[in-house]
Amino acid sequence: MQIGLTHYLSVAAILFTLGVLGIILNRKNIIIILMSVEMILLSVNINLVTFSTFLGDLTGQVFSLFILTVAAAEAAIGLAILVTYYRNRGSIAVEDINMMKG
Amino acid sequence: MTPISFALAHSLPEVVLAVGALALLMLGVFRARDGRDWIISECAIAVLGLAFLLLFVGAGPKVVVFDGAFIDDAYGRYMKGLALIGSIVTLLLSLDYMRREKIDLFEFPVLVILATLGMLMLISAQTLISLYLGLELMSLALYVIAAFHRDNVRASEAGLKYFALGALSSGMLLYGASLLYGFAGTVSLQGIAAAINGKANIGVIFGLVFMLAGLSFKMSVVPFHMWTPDVYEGAPTPVTAFFASAAKMAAVAITMRLVVTAFPGVTDQWRQILIFVSILSMALGAFAAIGQTNIKRLMAYSSIGHMGFALVGLAAGTEQGVQGVLVYLSIYLTMTLGTFAAILSMRVGDVYVEKISDLAGLSRTNGTMALFLSAMMLSLAGIPPLAGFFAKWYVFNAAIQAHLYPLAVIGVLMSVVACFYYLRIVKVIYFDEPAPGFERASPAVTAVLIVASLLVVFFSFWPGPLDVAAAAAAKSLF
Amino acid sequence: MNVAAVFFYLFSAIMLASAFMVIAAKNPVHSVLFLILAFVNASGLFLLMGAEFLAMILVVVYVGAVAVLFLFVVMMLDVDFAELKQGFLQYLPLGSVIGIVVAIELLLVMVGFTQSDAALGAGASPIQANVSNTEALGLVLYTKYVYLFQASGLVLLTAMIGAIVLTLRHKPDVKRQVIADQNARTRADAIEIKKAPSRAGV
Repeated sequence: MQIGLTHYLSVAAILFTLGVLGIILNRKNIIIILMSVEMILLSVNINLVTFSTFLGDLTGQVFSLFILTVAAAEAAIGLAILVTYYRNRGSIAVEDINMMKG
Repeated sequence: MTPISFALAHSLPEVVLAVGALALLMLGVFRARDGRDWIISECAIAVLGLAFLLLFVGAGPKVVVFDGAFIDDAYGRYMKGLALIGSIVTLLLSLDYMRREKIDLFEFPVLVILATLGMLMLISAQTLISLYLGLELMSLALYVIAAFHRDNVRASEAGLKYFALGALSSGMLLYGASLLYGFAGTVSLQGIAAAINGKANIGVIFGLVFMLAGLSFKMSVVPFHMWTPDVYEGAPTPVTAFFASAAKMAAVAITMRLVVTAFPGVTDQWRQILIFVSILSMALGAFAAIGQTNIKRLMAYSSIGHMGFALVGLAAGTEQGVQGVLVYLSIYLTMTLGTFAAILSMRVGDVYVEKISDLAGLSRTNGTMALFLSAMMLSLAGIPPLAGFFAKWYVFNAAIQAHLYPLAVIGVLMSVVACFYYLRIVKVIYFDEPAPGFERASPAVTAVLIVASLLVVFFSFWPGPLDVAAAAAAKSLF
Repeated sequence: MNVAAVFFYLFSAIMLASAFMVIAAKNPVHSVLFLILAFVNASGLFLLMGAEFLAMILVVVYVGAVAVLFLFVVMMLDVDFAELKQGFLQYLPLGSVIGIVVAIELLLVMVGFTQSDAALGAGASPIQANVSNTEALGLVLYTKYVYLFQASGLVLLTAMIGAIVLTLRHKPDVKRQVIADQNARTRADAIEIKKAPSRAGV
């Protein structure tokens, strides 16, 4: 059996769904949300590398490289904001993010 | 292969901002006392002003540089102008506020410049990669300045919410971008348009939907608006002004460029999405704002509604519609910045207040400010002959020309409903028992309020230049 | 089945299982460890597709830096894990329904995914057979994509400024090393000679 474009795209689609679910369902811990974002970006990277290989074009891999760079920066900012929030609030539970309502 | 000097000449405002941010960062690190903002904000205003002036240098027909990643055209220059005005006024408004709240760190103006640079790169993006990088440069800087008041629990909560939903939205945008790349085999927007060539394919439609979802978050339109009220309320007020002005300009600009440049072949599909989003946003903006007591939250719902009105023009999908959106955005920018200048004048003693009831009887304690703020509110409501009326007239006219009658009718109805809460503020200002009067606002804030009010009131006497500039910009997009 | 297919199924199965465990694990430390496992297996998938440089970068940047950063924050925050231990599973029934629907929809799109007729060869930088993956990326990254390279540099700078401005605190009571002060110290400031009388006690 030959492994083709569809196989890789399906794996990425399932990973993407898991990432989105992790964000929507999580009610307890914000760090899990940040990790789910990393999984979404990983699924995008798998998509891009797959297309790059099957199209014989390097652009997808370059795009993926830039996404890796930005994802690292995003994780750093996210964790910094999380640390600030924890210092003020003493909790990182999602349910506690409710100071403002309306 | 064009020489690099040619490319740099066409991206001069961006180069100035990048170099300016680095220079000011150095100046701040080595010269500022205790990390306080010494004259960095003033220098940052000068850098942004220089970038604004450079927009008028070397304008000509559209040029694509950096191997197809960056486009220099009249449309881009127009929107960059709006974004730069938003940033400059934000810094003017922040001078006094940051000092009083003791968060006047020199990093703030540097981050504002970096966010503005991201906006400019976003507006000029011509490939999916440059779109993504511009968007992220803007967003990362915005996440940080939303949480800039790091000892304030509401500000860090606002930053956290904005970050979590923003990261999700850029993930969705990227997933869409990866599908489009896979379909077209290229990341260039024009290449995607050529590959689609009128034939809509389910993968392309999914890519389009995911990308529009990601961008809707940045524009804060329904159903991706949930973060807006909380972030607007929690973030420091000048930062809120920045979100409501410059950041919106960049997000709408790239949405228009994306759908017009990359998806002319599937206009019917994106038009349906935009009509849906636009109606929901206008409705939410009109109804959810009614019960609000905090003026920053009210402005959040107001901005959601106004984005809905602006998208009416884009849904038309014509050159006239895009021109309408450009005029709408320019007037919206003026009204928003003026209103935030008024909000920043609401200071009792040493405390900045933000309840609508704090404005009660303002006509008796500060008649001039009451007059200017009422002009803003009436213009936001769209009452003739103020500028806000003309803004709405442009986009509804474009929708009618494109035979989108139901959309135009719903839009007019929603703007009537929205009148209610703007008029309620005018009523509170003029007819309620006076609350304690406000302290004198700083000269910069007062100047912004006066200039914005005069522009809004007297726009109808002299609409020609804006109309001509917007028409030229819209023409260059098609 | 050939070897490549076996490895594809191995890597994908482990990656998806550990991705599920990232969101299902009760202990955040376990989540981070599963995230690392997912990344290592994704890097295996990249190798299968011939994207060698990205595979290595994924391990170095993600496992080496980002995941460790996560681990560091999880441990630094000193969260009461006992309290966090319930939660996810109560939303599992609804979540799995939504998840399965979304996944099936996406899978249908992927199975029906067709590329445009012009897609092959439309790319800006075709892969050449006689150039290694790393070299090919290096050849375009600093020339064709220099604008994007600079932009990502600015993104990293923004992240650096942001992380510092949000989290760095100068505590007034912490003694810091100042090299200039250390070097400027002379014998006269540092020691003092006291004459102690002999046989007089202290």
